[in-house]
Amino acid sequence: MEQLTIALPKGRLQHQTLELFAVVGYPVSDEAASGRKLIFEDLSGALRFILAKPADVPTYVGYGAADLGIVGEDVLREGHRDLYEPLGLGIGRCRLVLAGPPEARSRDLRPEIGLRVASKYPRLALEHFEARGITAEIIPLSGSIELAPAVGLADLLVDLVETGRTLRDNGLVELETIMEVQAILVVNRASHKLHFGVIQELIRRLAVEVARRERPGTLGAEVGG
Amino acid sequence: MAYDESALIRRLPHGLTDLFLEQAAAKTAVEGVLQETFRRWGYSRIIPPTFEYYDTLAAGASVQLKQEMYRFFDREGNILALRPDMTVPTARVVSGKLYDRTPPLRCYYVGNVFRHIEPQAGWRREFTQAGIELIGAGTPEADAEVVAVAVAALKAMKVADFQVNLGQVSYLQAILSEAGLGNGELRRLEQAIDRRNDIELQRVLAELGITGDAARAIRAVPHLCGDEGVLCEAERLATNPPARQAIEHLARVYELLCLEGVAEHIILDLGEMRGMAYYTGITFHGYAAGLGFPICGGGRYDNLLANFGADLPAVGFALGVERILLVTHPEIDLAPHLVMRSCSHPACRALAAQTRARGSCVEVDVLGRQGEALVAYARALGAHYVVCCGEGPTYTLTDLRSSEPGCRRVLNRHELEQELALWSS
Repeated sequence: MEQLTIALPKGRLQHQTLELFAVVGYPVSDEAASGRKLIFEDLSGALRFILAKPADVPTYVGYGAADLGIVGEDVLREGHRDLYEPLGLGIGRCRLVLAGPPEARSRDLRPEIGLRVASKYPRLALEHFEARGITAEIIPLSGSIELAPAVGLADLLVDLVETGRTLRDNGLVELETIMEVQAILVVNRASHKLHFGVIQELIRRLAVEVARRERPGTLGAEVGG
Repeated sequence: MAYDESALIRRLPHGLTDLFLEQAAAKTAVEGVLQETFRRWGYSRIIPPTFEYYDTLAAGASVQLKQEMYRFFDREGNILALRPDMTVPTARVVSGKLYDRTPPLRCYYVGNVFRHIEPQAGWRREFTQAGIELIGAGTPEADAEVVAVAVAALKAMKVADFQVNLGQVSYLQAILSEAGLGNGELRRLEQAIDRRNDIELQRVLAELGITGDAARAIRAVPHLCGDEGVLCEAERLATNPPARQAIEHLARVYELLCLEGVAEHIILDLGEMRGMAYYTGITFHGYAAGLGFPICGGGRYDNLLANFGADLPAVGFALGVERILLVTHPEIDLAPHLVMRSCSHPACRALAAQTRARGSCVEVDVLGRQGEALVAYARALGAHYVVCCGEGPTYTLTDLRSSEPGCRRVLNRHELEQELALWSS
């Protein structure tokens, strides 16, 4: 059987994803799970995993260097790779939100001409404002976005939140949810055709497990929630 | 530090490249194979100009393609554009100049196209498209022929492991026609299906208020992918007669491709949605092992020629030659077969001419090298043989690709001619 290469996002999602693959029949050794190696196989040798920076996963899959990948919807929509997205994995659930200081709640943004918004997601942020007819200058940052309003770099921010704790700790409030996010299985278009049977089978197994977890009252229904 | 102005004027604009040596030869070879394949299927070449009126090229082009066009003014103030594909110029030529020929018309093209895009997988801002258009036939036979030519071309170019994804946009169009959707709504559905994203698809269906059999059929579309079993499933889900006809048509195309003996390369895929606004029937993309991007694409576009005044059905496909070169590597040997010194013997000139006439490459040195210098030069070129003429008349033949002691021989004219005849046989 042909071996499939799967790009995993290093970090938060990596362990939840490996656990999901283990449950559907592709466990990896403890050494591999530790994440010290960037390339490793499952115990059966059917799958080869590579560990990439989350934002790079769509690139690996887009070019076909990996046949499949696991990536957050936020990262997927921020990029513009042309991939299949056959399955939401129900893990890594969070929200992309617009946030700012509490007084921003009562502010009408449309007439503003100097509005500055900090974000790791410049494209999604810009789309959001354009769709609402708001003129905003997007300031791309690569982390600790909460800092920007505190020091006057930006008025608002667009960022991913899981519980909202970090925002609160920095005196910020959520103004609007831009999108709900979860981890998505993505597939390269060429791989989908060239390894059709094995990829379909893998998707089927994952889909069964995801559905089982999402049935109310089932053990482990809110993995990673 | 000296300011190097020549380095500045040697630059190329972003997204362009030069091809030379083996790469250029490989491209020429691939284009030759493609043209020969198209010719053998009865297609004749069409050579439209590189730029024409923007309005012409924009008629029938997608929004994206319009944005990617290079536009400029001529001195009368007309807006011109570099062609972004070859299909629209072909449609214009056929509509205006060939419309009254007995159908069908079989045209092929090989030409450069220009798009303001970020370079990706062999596509640059100027790249070469080769393809065919079969115009004036709306039959499954015409569809199957175009797919079969695509498969034949990929085989002829020795693309090792490839699959063609065959879809039928009129199936979904028929199902959607009952829902009465606007363009923006269609676009969102198309995108969700194209991404095979069921969550997004459910969300869009709910927002548009599509329920019942239509919703069931639409949600199934991304999964209607595989062998002929897909056809039965699609027929069962069809909500109206046009949808059933679309499947019958696709089934007939598939049957013909089986007869053609190329079914092993075909995957049926009703989720293949690319350019639903442009295509009106079958659509397909080719994929090759080792490259994550499609290597060819095409389909039926029955509405395009009407823009130019000839209401003719048409089906075709195109491929990007530079992208094909990422998955196939024709054998290229640029080294001359024979290197000779420049001398004033008519017999030596005749020898070179004879050898060239047999199809071998003969290089006569124009820098006056002879003896060991000529041999060293030829060796550096990777040439097969060196001939140095002596007096007598005798010739020293050195076989540069042999390490054996007999690799250098002194031959008379007759012996040398025999030796040369051997090479080309």
